[in-house]
Amino acid sequence: MPDDKAFNGRRDFLRKTLAVIPAITVAGYGVATTVASQAAPTLQNPYRPRFFTAAEWAFVNAAVARLIPSDANGPGAVEAGVPEFIDRQLETAYGHGNLWYMQAPFSADAAPEFGHQLKLVPRDIYRIGIAALDRWCQSQHGKVFAELEPAGQDDLLRQLEGGHLDLQDLPSTLLFSQLWQNTREGFFADPIHGGNRGLVGWKLVGFPGARADFMDWVDRNEKYPFPPVSISGERG
Amino acid sequence: MKLTPYLFGLSALFALGAAAAETADPELLKKGEYLARAGDCVACHTAKGGQPFAGGLPMETPIGTLFSTNITPDRKTGIGDYSFEDFDLAVRHGIAKQGYTLYPAMPYPSYARVTEPDMRALYAYFMQGVAPIEQANKDSAIPWPLSMRLPLTFWRWVFAPEVKDFAPAKDQDPVLARGAYLVDGLGHCGACHTPRGIGMQEKALSAGEGADFLAGSAPLEGWIAKSLRGDQRTGIGSWSEAELVQFLRTGRTNRTAVFGGMSEVVVHSMQYMSDADLTAIARYLKSLPAANPGDQAYAYDEKVSKALYHGDDSKTGAALYVDNCAACHRTDGQGYARVFPALAGNPVVNGDDATSLIHIVLKGDTMPATHQAPSTFTMPPFSWRLNDQQVADVVNFIRTSWGNQAPAVSAEQVAHLRAELDVPPLGQIPDPHALVAPQH
Amino acid sequence: MATTLKPVNAVVVGFGWAGAILAKELTEAGLQVVALERGPHQDTYPDGAYPNTLDELTYNSRGKLFQDLSKSTVTIRHGIDGTALPYRQLSAFLPGNGVGGAGLHWSGVHFRIMPEELRLRSHYEERYGKGFIPEGMTIQDYGVSYEELEPHFDFAEKVFGTSGSAYKVKGQVVGDGNPFAPDRSDNFPLPALKDVHSAHLFRKAAEEVGMHPYAMPAANASGPWTNPYGVQMGPCNFCGFCSGYACYMYSKASPNLNILPALKQSELFELRVNSNVLRVNLDSDGKRATGVTYVDAQGREIVQPADLVIVSAFQFHNVHLMLLSGIGKPYDPRTGEGVVGKNFAYQNMATIKAFFDRDVHTNPFIGTGGGGVAVDDFNSDNFDHGPLGFVGGSPFWVNQAGSKPIRGLTLPPGAPSWGSGWKQAAKDAYTHTLSMDAHGSNMSYRDNYLDLDPTYKDAYGQPLLRMTFDWKENEYKMTRYVTEQMRKIAEAMNPKTIAVHVKNFGDHFNTRAYQTTHLLGGAIMGSDPKTSAVNRYLQSWDVHNVFVIGASAFPQGTGYNPTGLVAALAYWSAKAIREQYLKNPGPLVQA
Repeated sequence: MPDDKAFNGRRDFLRKTLAVIPAITVAGYGVATTVASQAAPTLQNPYRPRFFTAAEWAFVNAAVARLIPSDANGPGAVEAGVPEFIDRQLETAYGHGNLWYMQAPFSADAAPEFGHQLKLVPRDIYRIGIAALDRWCQSQHGKVFAELEPAGQDDLLRQLEGGHLDLQDLPSTLLFSQLWQNTREGFFADPIHGGNRGLVGWKLVGFPGARADFMDWVDRNEKYPFPPVSISGERG
Repeated sequence: MKLTPYLFGLSALFALGAAAAETADPELLKKGEYLARAGDCVACHTAKGGQPFAGGLPMETPIGTLFSTNITPDRKTGIGDYSFEDFDLAVRHGIAKQGYTLYPAMPYPSYARVTEPDMRALYAYFMQGVAPIEQANKDSAIPWPLSMRLPLTFWRWVFAPEVKDFAPAKDQDPVLARGAYLVDGLGHCGACHTPRGIGMQEKALSAGEGADFLAGSAPLEGWIAKSLRGDQRTGIGSWSEAELVQFLRTGRTNRTAVFGGMSEVVVHSMQYMSDADLTAIARYLKSLPAANPGDQAYAYDEKVSKALYHGDDSKTGAALYVDNCAACHRTDGQGYARVFPALAGNPVVNGDDATSLIHIVLKGDTMPATHQAPSTFTMPPFSWRLNDQQVADVVNFIRTSWGNQAPAVSAEQVAHLRAELDVPPLGQIPDPHALVAPQH
Repeated sequence: MATTLKPVNAVVVGFGWAGAILAKELTEAGLQVVALERGPHQDTYPDGAYPNTLDELTYNSRGKLFQDLSKSTVTIRHGIDGTALPYRQLSAFLPGNGVGGAGLHWSGVHFRIMPEELRLRSHYEERYGKGFIPEGMTIQDYGVSYEELEPHFDFAEKVFGTSGSAYKVKGQVVGDGNPFAPDRSDNFPLPALKDVHSAHLFRKAAEEVGMHPYAMPAANASGPWTNPYGVQMGPCNFCGFCSGYACYMYSKASPNLNILPALKQSELFELRVNSNVLRVNLDSDGKRATGVTYVDAQGREIVQPADLVIVSAFQFHNVHLMLLSGIGKPYDPRTGEGVVGKNFAYQNMATIKAFFDRDVHTNPFIGTGGGGVAVDDFNSDNFDHGPLGFVGGSPFWVNQAGSKPIRGLTLPPGAPSWGSGWKQAAKDAYTHTLSMDAHGSNMSYRDNYLDLDPTYKDAYGQPLLRMTFDWKENEYKMTRYVTEQMRKIAEAMNPKTIAVHVKNFGDHFNTRAYQTTHLLGGAIMGSDPKTSAVNRYLQSWDVHNVFVIGASAFPQGTGYNPTGLVAALAYWSAKAIREQYLKNPGPLVQA
């Protein structure tokens, strides 16, 4: 049986129609209307991180700016809000590792084919990983990652990616893959998650976003003409 | 699983079998049950989540809250001690057993023409086919002097018709006559679909009383009950009799879907009507001539769909339509047969008053399940995604594209309706799970 | 202390396709049916509400509709001497959760099966000789024929509203469908979906190299459809949000859309969600099930007595439940004895990406989960395996199901992996790339099997299921051979460049990369209780009032997607229950 919610309309209709009668017959009586609730709170700007410390925030901003830089092809990860996206993700069940099977025993030396077998969840990977990398940078360069020149940052990111840095507390590839995965997510996910501001990621590659209707375009070898649209209805 | 109303009816019959068997004529009870469905008594006389016919549905009104009454045969709290005469007085005359006049929320002006044999079947059903439920009626919370029943009595004297068994006119086609009996009588279609006069009375109570009959209501609670007359653009002139039958039985046709209050009528009442009765209703409705003498047939215009096909969304509202509506209703406005209603040529879209269209854009709706068409389809609300001007723009786009021709709506109109409805607020993306009733 | 409820006629464990079909069939037969689903309520609305559902991060990357691994997963090892490790993050396969199961988030590819694959061992022995099948490969016959299943394939297609192009109906060539496909009793309910441009390119190229392209059969409706239950579907608009999502257009078949609305009209049916079945209860001699024990949303243990128990969860949950309940003898790979857990198999994928210039608009976001263009020239036994020395094959296809940029953006070989160069490559590649798959079979082997893990437990304290699985010589040979054939199609499209992703000899099963969710076997059907867990009607050989429905019954893998065969077997089993078992409860096949 369908739920009652769908059926309020007609009852309301009848009761309103007919209940007005005595009011009219007896006396004119005002009908009060209530005002619907107000619009959403505005976006906090600038974003204040909830998970990251100031030092971590500086690292994330610096690193994602190298992974997806602002350049002739348009805005990069920072302009797209990727740091905010990552910070917010780390407050979700995902960030806490609650989407994963996390029962012991863990296995640090498992073959890569078995996937993630460490006790670390995304929040740990960032917290431990950033501290370890900045420590390494300090010891080698006397500066933390965020203070290095872009070329030096690129070089370090390549070393992380290749597993060439011994960070002691975790495999460097783990920090890199976590960061790069979340950076792409933040660049291409719907803006409701905090990244992809102005739909810049979608505009870069030509993805129409939450449009989800291509009936007129199925068999046409043409560039799709409409700009992307987000879940909130924003057009890019 | 909840029992369906139909099954409830059956099980109630079985449950009562022992106690009431000495007088129950099963055929009469069956007929009474059928007529109770035709009258859709359950809709108003059942509280949300309550026992069928036990009353208690609150009716919030500007002057206070009314509650529908218990019409189960419980002697203490229901109508168990009603004689046939008491029952008849209430249903057809609008006078309670205690002598006061009923609020015309009870559509006794329509029921006045129900025949006595049908009244007896209804009486038998309510006395013996319905399970008695002890549930005290709630007093209305209406302060004196508004609670006086006297003005209602005046109202009844002025507007309620003479109680008289329906009889077909001489030489009237029996199918049409049956249709008139059901539409004007138990079906009380006019309660919603006929415009009301200064005293809130229906301006016409049958086809013979003029072109106001079933010509569509003014907006109330954010809906228009549309014209059921023969107008091509705004009535049901473009519908076939078979489409009407299909619509009443299943809540959907190839080109349209039931929404708003009519959903309840289809689910609780119309889907149970026999083929013959649905055909009679459809034929009678189709016999009503157009109210507008200058009425013209709708013709499709492909200009807008061609532009959208080529990626041109420059017409005002077109981009919003592409971003919000086209996925289901298509760039050609034709929708998808039996699932997503056509907007092109749709009488609801083309009505002078766009209230229902704006309402659906803001709040969405769900096509209900019926026995022969159990699928439910939901249009989500767009109140959170479109501001008042955007709703007006997209509604105007719909009302002026593909051959549709209807007057423009304003952002103020949208704002007014938005304030009246309980809809997700603008700018806050809702969790759709919060918009549906929880399932168990 | 467990609460014991009033008995019902039948309890259905798991409400995906198999559970929904059995629940529908059994209520039609007049049985009072309770379906227990461990996950939450789910439906097209609100779980697939437009536009909220158009969210790649939530649904695909974070797997909102997938199994909740934090509660239960499997462990995996590559060989019988290894230590299995948990599958901690969703990657290689994506089982479902909640009402509809994986049937809510699947793509919609809706194949039948090649008749010879139902008698694979007999067929290979007859055509290639007894010695052709390698030692250790434990492929078997199903014990049911295509002719017996055909009415059920046909009915399931009508329930699913499947779109496609037939080749032969009742012996007559009727259309441009797959010329290798077996005879059909009727056309597809709906005509084939349109070719997206990528599929068009594949079709043209396949013809050029002498292969036989056809429109893939898709349970994504090409037009409005009303199924035999009176349930309606809308037409697919190629939005591309199929796999991983509930279809907001009501056009992808799901148990929720195609069966549940009809079941809701029956007072004989009850669906209980958040009800995790721990075990099937047996009577004292273990020959008859008395019902099931489950944990409800509040953590209470509930006993639901029933005359008939339908085990219809996802493939490996079926096997897990049998092992936990002691139904059938657990399989031992060292002796080859026992049946439950035996013949665990999977699918063997290879992919070629083709990258084009800017004048070719593949627009990969335009797509439909089940649609596309395929060739069967190197599938099944449609080609001579004699000189090739391997068993099995693969259909090839462009099945453009809607690639989105987080997970579906692929760059040509040599493109930088991040930075400005990556950005340029992403911009150049995304709308000018197509992907084709060799969706290969995987045979069953003596030492690829399922049992209970000795170490890891689920949220209910029960041992996890352990997969012992790896690729074998036959699988490398097959996938490498067919991928070379598919390369001919890719090259005939004249792309700028291609990237071939195929297994190398010796590659181990990689749990990190998506393969498919087509896990098979472990409670296989057959004609001999010594080598199969259920008989040809999917009835347990050991406990006659338990029927185990799903891909767990497949004795080995196929090139096709399994859902069509799962549905046909479900209807086939239901028919046996309705027409034979209910009249005379007991074993339907004498051991």
